[in-house]
Amino acid sequence: MSDKPQVTVFAARRIVTLDPSLPIATHVAVRDGRVLATGGAELVAQFGGRLDDRFAGKVLVPGFVEGHGHATDGLMWRAPYVGFFPRTAPNGQPAGGFKSIAEVVAHLRQVEISMTDPDQPLVAWGFDPIYFDGPRMTVADLDQISATRMVVVAHVSGHILNVNTKVLDKAGFSPDSNLDGLVRDGHGRLTGELQGPAVMGRANRATGDGGLLRALDVPGLRDYGRIAQRVGVTTSTDLANALTPDNVAALRAATNEADFPIRLVPAMRAREYSLDDGLARIAELKTMSTDKLRFGLVKLVVDGSIQGFTARLRWPGYHNGAPNGLWYVAPGELEGIVTAYHGAGHHLHIHTNGDEASELATEMVGRAIAAHPRRDHRHTLQHCQMADSGIFRRMQTFGMCVNLFANHIFYWGEQHAALTMGPSRVRHLDACATALACGVPLAIHSDTPVTPVDPRFTMWCAVNRLSSAGRVLGEHERITPLQALHAVTLGAAYTLKLDHLLGSIEVGKFADFAVLEDDPLTVDPVTIKDIPVVATVMGGQVFTAS
Amino acid sequence: MIPLTVIGGFLGAGKTTLVNHLLSSAHKRWGVLVNDFGAINVDAALIAAQDGQTMALTNGCVCCSLGDDLGDALATIAMRQPEHVIVEASGVSDPWKIAQLALIEPGFLLEPLVVLVDTPALLAQLGDRWVGDTVARQLAFAEIIVLNKCDQASAATRAAVRARMQDLRPEAVLLEATGAVLAEATLSFTPASRPAVSRFYAEAVGHHFPTYALPAEIAFDRDRLRAVLGDLPRSVLRIKGVCQLGADAKPVLLQYAAERWAFTPAPAGLPSGLVVIGTPELPPQSELADQFAAAALD
Repeated sequence: MSDKPQVTVFAARRIVTLDPSLPIATHVAVRDGRVLATGGAELVAQFGGRLDDRFAGKVLVPGFVEGHGHATDGLMWRAPYVGFFPRTAPNGQPAGGFKSIAEVVAHLRQVEISMTDPDQPLVAWGFDPIYFDGPRMTVADLDQISATRMVVVAHVSGHILNVNTKVLDKAGFSPDSNLDGLVRDGHGRLTGELQGPAVMGRANRATGDGGLLRALDVPGLRDYGRIAQRVGVTTSTDLANALTPDNVAALRAATNEADFPIRLVPAMRAREYSLDDGLARIAELKTMSTDKLRFGLVKLVVDGSIQGFTARLRWPGYHNGAPNGLWYVAPGELEGIVTAYHGAGHHLHIHTNGDEASELATEMVGRAIAAHPRRDHRHTLQHCQMADSGIFRRMQTFGMCVNLFANHIFYWGEQHAALTMGPSRVRHLDACATALACGVPLAIHSDTPVTPVDPRFTMWCAVNRLSSAGRVLGEHERITPLQALHAVTLGAAYTLKLDHLLGSIEVGKFADFAVLEDDPLTVDPVTIKDIPVVATVMGGQVFTAS
Repeated sequence: MIPLTVIGGFLGAGKTTLVNHLLSSAHKRWGVLVNDFGAINVDAALIAAQDGQTMALTNGCVCCSLGDDLGDALATIAMRQPEHVIVEASGVSDPWKIAQLALIEPGFLLEPLVVLVDTPALLAQLGDRWVGDTVARQLAFAEIIVLNKCDQASAATRAAVRARMQDLRPEAVLLEATGAVLAEATLSFTPASRPAVSRFYAEAVGHHFPTYALPAEIAFDRDRLRAVLGDLPRSVLRIKGVCQLGADAKPVLLQYAAERWAFTPAPAGLPSGLVVIGTPELPPQSELADQFAAAALD
């Protein structure tokens, strides 16, 4: 009987299964990478298993599912991170946490000294000056780092760069020029702050640094896997990938490695293709899925971002009076695209930030369903940050799902209250409770690298709704810890059409667990984000978090 | 310097049809940047070579994908040495954002911003809850507005559209067209028959736009010049030419359009002096000359 498959029984202090037939267990039997049984100590005898009690004092929950992340997070760390909030690099070292412009400059001076090639640009990322008092970063600050090397500091919002004089010169931005996106000081001179994709693109071309546009490679995917695994993730989307043959080759190579710790679910960026080519490509990709690499999602982008004032808002528009944002695709075109992918049986994940964009996308999905009735499409609005109950009710009617950007409540909630939405609409920023009350299947996300992937933190945001200033934004939109845990596991899996395979600890599903020091359902809710992650189990294989 | 014309307009206005005309019946070696390569429809026999991003035609024209970065695309197309570059803005983008970036592209001179409208559909578009503001924004800085598809619009509709254009953008020249067929001269401020080297510097009157030259050999105080440029009336559509800025003896090329301007290193061989192009309400030459003279270095 030596070839009889090995059964391992993991024992834990508590196992939160999200299986309604046995919500709490203490043991889980695993065979062939899948859950064989859940229950108590009797499983060892019942299934002839080997007891693995290394997690005996810990709490197991279903492995976390990051429903909207970007594997490009794994590439970011080749450049210095200069954010206000500390973040963890792929090697586990803390990075950033700089509380002033002076600290950022001092750090980058150290980095600059260590660079050997004088022509290599110094590009830093994650700068977040909205938390600083006093003057904004200027070209004079960055010229202190180097007068001869190009220096770029990218803001975490994704919409602004600060550059030094060397970059201004190389990009052809004369200090006397006056173009939209070039910020000038009281004397009319350029401050080195570049706003918007047009002028930023020009600076990126001058430095030759792709930044976020770097091509995803196997080492970058490995780094993303480490970052995500360390916070308990066992499945992550890569929610905007061109999925060229090169991209797919890198994804396959990385996920085929025996010690690659997460399952990846890339979404095909539809705008990379003509409609016909995109339909053909996604159909082809669907045949290439493995247990650790699942194709099938199609990503559409309808508008921009709220903090960048490029999201499309309904009346009364931006609180500070800024003009309405941009359609990234014309409403009429969106109808054709949604209808074509829906009609061909595909699964759409649609980026909408502003409420007008969410309303439009919902309308277009409704029209597509009228043209091609189909159950269980699970088209999902991603971000959907300003939707109110009216939009959620329609989404429910059409069978749509939502993945809300709960981390925004903490990171940008105060900005939204002051500038973009004002005090009333910010109460339903990422309205998790309303979505659930309306019966819309819910996931919540980080959009990493925009905010760090960490489902504990995302749960904490949805449960507490605390802003960076420590204020509760919209107490009635808070959800329970159980609802939040569901949203980062089974709920997210549902939006990916993977809920039959993962997202809960049930017989037949992948043995994907997050191993925690404590139970997120019973700790003080304001400490959910601080519960240590001990390890993950993915397909029965243990990956330690340290 | 290669003339560069940005063409904007909402979906269905006829931009792609216009590009297809230009490429198929080329009197010039056009270089065209388009958003949707797949929409280009030229006779297969005309295609000399094609890869993913570039299509070269047997008539000397070249068509490239605009991509995410205008500068990249312009650098690519400049290598083909086109006589005139056309940039087709996407149907939802603001063509003025693209046009002003062209002000700092070395080697290009910004020609009028041409915006096409779908005349029979325009009033409904402007009133549409979702796209009304996008369509209005596209017209806000247009210098030539082409009322296309006029054959499909009644006289009353055409008159109503003209009236709306007068409200939205009184500075623009209005032209009527059918099937996106335009005179080639529509893509330039000055008619193409003039000798290429001298045309910006001749005391020439364009066929649509009053044009004059300001005195040459001016070196400006940068702060006072900025004040002058910042205060120009909307009737000034373009200023372009070579001047000197501050104590720096290196000549620079100034390109001004609609309250935005850029200085780039002057290409060799261009004489100094500024050319002003405007609407019929352009201030008299002497008035602008005085303002600029007051900004001269002491």
